[in-house]
Amino acid sequence: MSEPPRPLNRAAYPEPVLGNPVSTLMESGVGNCYPGLEFDLRQLDTRFFPGLTFDFLGIEPSGPDGTQGAHLINADASSDPTFQQDCPWIAALRRQLNGPEGAALGSGNWYLHWVEQQGKRIELYDFDVFQNATYLVPYEGETCWWIIRSIEADPDESTADLTIALSQRDANGQPTGTPVVLHGKRRRYLDEAGMIPEVYRPGELTASMCSPWTHDFRDCACQYWAANHPDIVLGPVHGYALEDGTSRDDATQAVTFLDWMRRRGTAPAVMAEATLERSRPDAYDPYEINLRWQELDFVLQGEETDGTPDPKPKPKPKLKSEPDPNEQHRPTYPSVEAAMADLREELAPLEFTLSMVYLYALLSLRAPEEVTAEEHQTWHSLAEDLAAARQSLLAVAVSEMTHLRWVNQMLWTLGRAGFDTKHPYKPVVRPLPQPAAGALPDDLHARVRMLRPASPTTLEDFVDIERPAEAVDTEYAGLVEYLRHKEFPAGLHELAVRIDSDGLQHYQRFRSVATSLSRYAREPRLYLRPIVLADASDASLMPALDLLDRIVKATENGYEAEFRDDMPAAEAAILEAREAMRAFQIEAERLARDEGKGIPFFARWKASDRAP
Amino acid sequence: MPRDLSPSVIDAARPRSAHGHLAGDLALVAETMALYRLDQAQIDTLARGLEAGDAGTAQALERLGLALPAPRPALPDPTRPIRALTLTVSQTCNLACVYCYAGGGSFGGPDKRMGWDVARQAIDALIAETPPGGSVRIAFMGGEPMASRALIRRAVQHALHRAATRAVSVGFSMTTNGTLVTEADAEFLAQHRFAVTVSLDGDRAANDRLRPTKTKAGSFDRVGEGVTRLAARSDRIALSARVTATPDNLDLEATMAALGALGFASVGVSPMLTSPTGQGALRGDDFTTLLDAMIRCGEAWLAAVLSGGSHPFANLATALSELHRGQPRSHACGAARDYLAVDAEGSYSACHRFVNDPLGRMGTLGAIDHDARRAFLIERAVERQGPCASCWARRLCGGGCHHEVLHAGRPACDYVRGWLHFAMTAYSRLIAAHPAWFDGPG
Repeated sequence: MSEPPRPLNRAAYPEPVLGNPVSTLMESGVGNCYPGLEFDLRQLDTRFFPGLTFDFLGIEPSGPDGTQGAHLINADASSDPTFQQDCPWIAALRRQLNGPEGAALGSGNWYLHWVEQQGKRIELYDFDVFQNATYLVPYEGETCWWIIRSIEADPDESTADLTIALSQRDANGQPTGTPVVLHGKRRRYLDEAGMIPEVYRPGELTASMCSPWTHDFRDCACQYWAANHPDIVLGPVHGYALEDGTSRDDATQAVTFLDWMRRRGTAPAVMAEATLERSRPDAYDPYEINLRWQELDFVLQGEETDGTPDPKPKPKPKLKSEPDPNEQHRPTYPSVEAAMADLREELAPLEFTLSMVYLYALLSLRAPEEVTAEEHQTWHSLAEDLAAARQSLLAVAVSEMTHLRWVNQMLWTLGRAGFDTKHPYKPVVRPLPQPAAGALPDDLHARVRMLRPASPTTLEDFVDIERPAEAVDTEYAGLVEYLRHKEFPAGLHELAVRIDSDGLQHYQRFRSVATSLSRYAREPRLYLRPIVLADASDASLMPALDLLDRIVKATENGYEAEFRDDMPAAEAAILEAREAMRAFQIEAERLARDEGKGIPFFARWKASDRAP
Repeated sequence: MPRDLSPSVIDAARPRSAHGHLAGDLALVAETMALYRLDQAQIDTLARGLEAGDAGTAQALERLGLALPAPRPALPDPTRPIRALTLTVSQTCNLACVYCYAGGGSFGGPDKRMGWDVARQAIDALIAETPPGGSVRIAFMGGEPMASRALIRRAVQHALHRAATRAVSVGFSMTTNGTLVTEADAEFLAQHRFAVTVSLDGDRAANDRLRPTKTKAGSFDRVGEGVTRLAARSDRIALSARVTATPDNLDLEATMAALGALGFASVGVSPMLTSPTGQGALRGDDFTTLLDAMIRCGEAWLAAVLSGGSHPFANLATALSELHRGQPRSHACGAARDYLAVDAEGSYSACHRFVNDPLGRMGTLGAIDHDARRAFLIERAVERQGPCASCWARRLCGGGCHHEVLHAGRPACDYVRGWLHFAMTAYSRLIAAHPAWFDGPG
């Protein structure tokens, strides 16, 4: 009798309640006034006065033309259920609307002039004095609506507590003629059961809304529920698909991101643009999206598809350097010590070096706010392109820093698990050693370690460095393979896989940066700061280099603390590193922007040094 | 099965503790209506506890890991919006059943038929109080409702029209003696998807004995004609028979056979506890005979269902569904809670049985007496019924039919408990052998 028996019947379940849940009732709705979810509250006030219907006209893009305000559409007692009630003020209002006042309102254009309740009168006009004459400027529709919303609903049904006046306007929007004055009450919008009165016709309360699944879906930003959709996707595979799900005939399919909202048609799909503004011409416009939303593809695992998904997970696209699983397995490292030596001497310094090189390139780009008004006139999207390019470079640099941490984590995890006791864990936060004199120019270390501005050549080289199955990617493929086949602590293989697969994103990001900046290739000054790699002896660099030292030291302390499992100390160290990074960023931007100096990131490491 | 089965069932069902009950391997926690299957050791534990009364039962349940729940607080207002209405369209009848609660349809007063205004106002009020998207049920009863067929037709058309303008769905039902149902009537009832309950008390002999016409002639043949017309439309009419069990027709197995042959897929049995004339009510030993007959029918039903077939006996199916639903009751039925009857005068009563009865008056047209409804429900709640407090079956039975209890007390509790005890054992067997039955109507 260890566990109490469970009921055999449904006694434990609450009785189901029939009907709509309370969350569907109007009073629990969001009911916002803008392209909204349930209905547009403003539409209620178009019938705020019994028998009358208004339209709240705004100001045309061409400027006020005197037609703005609360414009009377209809005055008719017969179609309003209010007039079925038996009450002196209703009878009086009915007489008015069926009499001379109603007849007057029946022709010409009438606007609400003022409203009066509890001795307070609000005119729906602004006074304007111009060249010694007074003008009445009609409030625009939304302002009129605010005023109408402020009219109170008087609970006493028997008396008319609201007086309104309507007038016509002359060609200049000035009230003219005799106003029509009516006595009545503000309409109650909900009866006691929470129902909207029958005076509103089906569709009336939603008539002013836009359609969430089309317009809003296209135009609203990511925090809005209707806008929750993919931005960029990998294209569908047309024709022959390889076993890994990629296209045999289009090698770029697996690495080319498309704008999901792009206009479908006969033109071939082009790579997604980096900025919203530039992607707009190729995306469905607001009218099209209403007609063609169904052409948007389903996206599974980041890839558009029009077929039924294969329930089996798709294997990762196989890269050249990855061993063929059919091939006889051969270890990629002779021993775990060799693998750890590679992590320590090669991969960690590589990550550190790459992050610094990418930061240097980032600092060589102008900031969006440096774009002058003149430049903007000619180059509309320059500021946005710069923002996107800087964002991409920063993202990749940060990603490399993350990799640096993961490589260190692999090392300390292996160390703690008792592998290679001859080399107890020491944090590796240093660049690759300077290549020996006479190293070939295509030597990876030499290529990677060069601090250079983000010129087209540089960006091309970055693309090459991160290209799948090339240089850096190859470095990790072996590690992934090795860690898969050995009994190593949990998680190591996954870390290696993540680093390896991030390479594809880096590659893609650099390609898009290179493409978006290529349009300025003939005028590099538009996007490049004229920076020169400064000499380490330059005294003005000292604060920056000292901050860099602090960052490295704090990061090392943090890794060391994590190795010891001393999380409070690790956290303190990382916080210190972050603070130093922020200060460094400000200082480095200043040097690049104001003094044209590029920081020699690796100056404090000597060629022969293994540590600063 | 031995004839003397029911005394042993009645003894097994005797109230031992207010906290719970044991039927075979099934334990019931009285207050929550939760049912548990026990192993032999657990059965022994609970059985010993039950013999020691409330304290012992509480201890035993706790040892089983079934701590007693806190008592449910009574609802301050047990009324719910009215969603079902009976129109007593005809307070007159062409039959003269000896036990009729309606006293031949007139409820002890002069014969009357409902006027159109009363029907219309009652229907309008029902639908007006129902929010769009809701649903209501309208039942036509009597007397014999078919004596007012013109009113029924008009009422149905009107209700459909009113309901459509409010987006309310409406269902119809009728309880009839079946003797006046013409071909055209049957078609009308089918067209509007009526649930039709025909009152019938058994085979020809029993029926003609208990349900004579006012000229003392037998009614079975005429009922048969009406039923044939209804049964021919069983795809659109939910047809069932209601047998009133009196001392004179307790051979329920013969009744099931006869009514099944007549075309009824569902036959329900209601024991007669109180009649205005005192005639025909069950007493004393009648209940053991009735329980025997009910259990026999129940076993036949269970055997049929377990072998993949069907059987018309409806009482066990209902009891099993309720046991499975497991929702504790405060009242036996929806009378006054979400259901009212309106009579020819336009007076509301707690249900169709309270017509002309001051104990169940609930206001008049345009002025439903909601205070009376609330007071009635609070007063009649099983929590307030002294004798029920010590009974394990109180949350299953809900305290019994208000009308019967107010007029005849509770003479049949042993029978009710015996029946529910049997139903629990049947539940244990059916849910083990054929759990899918509980997923939908069997």
